[in-house]
Amino acid sequence: MDYKGDIHYIEQILAGNSIAFSHLVDRHKDKAYNLAFRICGNHEEAEELAQDSFLKAYRSLKSFKMKSSFATWLYRIVYNTTISYVRIKKKGVLSLEDFPADATDFIGRNTSEEEAEKEYRSSLVNFALQKINEEERGLISLYYYEEMSTEEISDVTGISKSNIKVKLFRARQKMFEIIEKVEKKKLIYHE
Amino acid sequence: MSNQEEYKEDLLSQYITPERIEKAPKGFTSKVMTRIQLETLPSMVAERLWKKNLVPVISAVVVILLIASAFLIPGSQTDSLADPVLSLIKNIKFSMPEINLSSIFRLTLPSVTMYVFIGILILTLFDRALYRIFHREK
Repeated sequence: MDYKGDIHYIEQILAGNSIAFSHLVDRHKDKAYNLAFRICGNHEEAEELAQDSFLKAYRSLKSFKMKSSFATWLYRIVYNTTISYVRIKKKGVLSLEDFPADATDFIGRNTSEEEAEKEYRSSLVNFALQKINEEERGLISLYYYEEMSTEEISDVTGISKSNIKVKLFRARQKMFEIIEKVEKKKLIYHE
Repeated sequence: MSNQEEYKEDLLSQYITPERIEKAPKGFTSKVMTRIQLETLPSMVAERLWKKNLVPVISAVVVILLIASAFLIPGSQTDSLADPVLSLIKNIKFSMPEINLSSIFRLTLPSVTMYVFIGILILTLFDRALYRIFHREK
């Protein structure tokens, strides 16, 4: 496959070839969508927010200084767009009762138990993510899903490295407590 | 980092697997590109219209400037820049017999008519010049 860097496509777009932007969208859409989804917790909204972010990136491509990577710059847009959206549209607090107690509830199209367990864990993390605030959700997502270093997260969010460590610590603790409570509930359910 | 904190982080890592990222739905790229094209379309149309109507726009601007100057340049001032040109036109003697139209049709044309004719002549020449310039470029 003929691999060309983001800069190559950016130069083409700035020269007037707007179609070149589709290569950038193709390359970064999954991570951008994932970040939006982890923060807002809804597939339809995440798609809309990720699309909006790409549109914003396209509009302000001229202001991209190329000091950071295009991915970092794009994630910054996705992060800020989604955080702003979630802050405006605050959702009701989920209760523990909203989460199914058993992994068997996740057996549907995925027939194997192993798959169901994976699905259960993934849903449990999503559930725990929705119980913490939007900023913490963003940090957890960037750290665990995008596998970014605290320095890279600092570039995306504009939060200092030391502050990120503190916020990540708190977010982890909150998520851990939520997961623990759900797992306890699961044990009681099985007894 | 305390053992307890390390344990919590490890536990979270067990639940969060980066390979299980949520993938963008099908047709995502085409949706984004459609939105981009829809957004850029009005500006492209405007640009095309501007390019297409460049000659008439320039002509219209020149006409407006000429009309404005006809009103703004005083006719009575002797040091007016237009004076030598106007007096030259007035002094042109035609060898052809002078036809007094007013005696036939009983018309009394206003004095501004001459300026209008000169204006039309200048605009025609200007229009031809612009036409040649832009068509040579194509």
